[in-house]
This record gives sequence, C-alpha cells and structure tokens, in this order.
Amino acid sequence: MLALLPRLRRFARALTGNAADADDLCQATVEKALVARAQWQAGTRMDSWMYRIMRNGWIDTTRARTRAGQTFVPEEAGLAIGDHGDRTIEAHVALGEVETALRTLPDEQREAVALVLIEGLAYKEAAAVLDVPMGTLTSRLVRGRQALLAKLGEAA
Amino acid sequence: MTIDPETLMAFADGELDPLAAKRVERAIAADPLLAEQVAAQRALRARLSAAFAPLAEEAVPDALAARLRSNVVTLAAPAPRRVVSRWREALALAACLTLGVLLGQNWRAAGPIAAHDGALYASGRLAGALDTQLAATQGAAPVRVLASFRATGGGYCRVFAAPVTNGIACRDAHGWALRQTRAGTGEGGQGDYRQAGSPDPALLAAAQDMMAGDPLDAAGEAKAQASGWR
Repeated sequence: MLALLPRLRRFARALTGNAADADDLCQATVEKALVARAQWQAGTRMDSWMYRIMRNGWIDTTRARTRAGQTFVPEEAGLAIGDHGDRTIEAHVALGEVETALRTLPDEQREAVALVLIEGLAYKEAAAVLDVPMGTLTSRLVRGRQALLAKLGEAA
Repeated sequence: MTIDPETLMAFADGELDPLAAKRVERAIAADPLLAEQVAAQRALRARLSAAFAPLAEEAVPDALAARLRSNVVTLAAPAPRRVVSRWREALALAACLTLGVLLGQNWRAAGPIAAHDGALYASGRLAGALDTQLAATQGAAPVRVLASFRATGGGYCRVFAAPVTNGIACRDAHGWALRQTRAGTGEGGQGDYRQAGSPDPALLAAAQDMMAGDPLDAAGEAKAQASGWR
C-alpha cells in the first residue's frame, strides 16, 4: 500500500484539482482502505481497489459540498502553488495550465481522463474502477479529451 | 470509410485489437486529417502524464506514510450493521406513510398506486403510462416519463412525474415497483402543469445512483418498450 501512495496522491490531485483537497482525500482513502482491508481480495489489483475507494470518497465529498451550497472550489485554491527551485516551478506551471483545463470538465469525464491518461490504466481497468460499461467509459473519455484539446490548443 | 471518434481514440491509445487497428491504419494512410487527430490525441496524453508526473515523484508527506508504516495500526472493528437496519426501518416507515396518504387520497378513484405483497406498485393510469409512454413522444400527457434507464441490478426503471406523485418505478415480475416517491406536481388542469418538465433534482440524483451506464435514448426506450420492459 505504501508503494501505491505516490500514484494515489497524483490521482487525488487530478480528481480534486487542488493540493489541500488532494491531501485530505488521500488521508481519508488510506484510512478507509485500512479499515476495509479485509475486503480486498488477494490476487486482484490493489491499485484498482484503492483508486475506487478514492473516487467514491471524492464523490461523497462533492455531494456533501453541493448540498452545503459550495459546489466550486475557489480558483485561487488550485493556483496557489509553492515554488521550490527552478525545475519545480517549471513543472508546476505546466501543471497549473493542464490542471485548470482539467478542472473545467464534468466529474465523470475528469475521472475517466485521470485514470486513463494520467494513471495509465487500460480502458477495461478504468471501467472497472468506475463501475461503468466500456462504452460509457470510452464516450466519457472522448468527450473529455475533445474538451481538453479545445482548451489546451491542438498543439497540446 | 468513416472512423468514429471512439475508435480513433482507442487506436491512439493502443486499445484496439490487431484487426481493428489494421483497418484504422489503412484509413489514416488515406486521410491526413485522421493522422493529425491521432497525433493530437497522443500529444494530449503525453502532456497530461508529463504534467502530473512530478506529483508522483514528490516525497509522500510523513503523516500519511507513517500511518501505513506503523505496525500498531488499530483496525477499527467493523461498524455494527445497526445503521442499515435503522435505515430499513426509516424506509419502511416512509413507505407506509406514503402508502397511507396515497391510498387515502385515491381509494375510490382507483388511484395510481396499489400494494402487492407489501410493496408499492403503480396501477391504473400511472401503470399504463409507464408501460406505453415514450419520453420522446408523450406530448402533454398527465403522467410524464422523464427518463428511462437500466438499473445496476438489471431490469428497466423509469423516472416519472404525475399529479399525485413523482417517483422512480422499476419493472419486475409483478409490474412497476415504486422505488422512490416524492410529492407530486399537483392536481389541476393542463394549464397548471408547468412543473412536469422540470424534474426534481433529488429524484434524478437517486436515478443516477441506480443507473447502469447512461439513460436510454429514444431508440433504446422504444426497443425496451417493444420487449415489454423485460
């Protein structure tokens, strides 16, 4: 589980679109996975299992927030990025632009894009994590990518 | 030959089987525009994964890692199932209440709700509408079907709005079982029927939770109706 943490943190960031929510989500996911670890079946992929816990946890969070009337995270939250030396700044600037575009997608498209394009899951694996048929996954992926291409420019 | 966007994307991601990939390759060779689109898809993928790569290389915060490294992880005892049974009680109570109110209101008029084996089912005009009406072609009917979908557990369900009650009904062996009910859009003439088109967001959220995949489109709905929603 420890070895999965870096990837889980990346997925959390892609889902939430900002560092603070990503940290909270990661923490909550680890806690849930520890409590529920008896339910993980040996022989199945632990990464998929944890991606799924994380994604469902994020859905719960966003639903609770919608009920509380604050659907949108303030823009600054995602843009407030620390600077630690030149190389990191560069990486973070690039992340900012991509992340801003990613944040404009509907949740269902963003999670599909994050699992396939960022986490590198196969379509079948991503569909299993999201618990949707393959056709649903691919159509969300197509729509999400088209929106991203339009935002980030054809040159990507 | 036309290549749909899904297939082209799958090709760019290396998800197609060799035969299908061959077909796309041939189409790309003949159409520079397709080749461009594949290149754009791949560039997007590269850009996204490159942008997020540094995150996976960042050091994991100590607090998080420590939680996993520690050998004295306290495994919370599984939460008692009490919560579930309370929910059941609450649901049963709510169902009884709805039943009482609806039966009370509509006893003489052969209302839209009937009980069967302790469960609530659509009857009369509501059941008829659920059986026959298509969302695409229903016009200004008193009962309006807002969406139809396949439930995750199998079987068809439909979201409806009617004067007495709004809800979600799912087809089973006995008929249309009512899974969700909300206060209706109100009695009155056609003129008063302004809310029918604007579905209750809570109801649609519940439908979303029950749904396997996407709601049926017009063709899918017609097909499901032709097969008797089974």
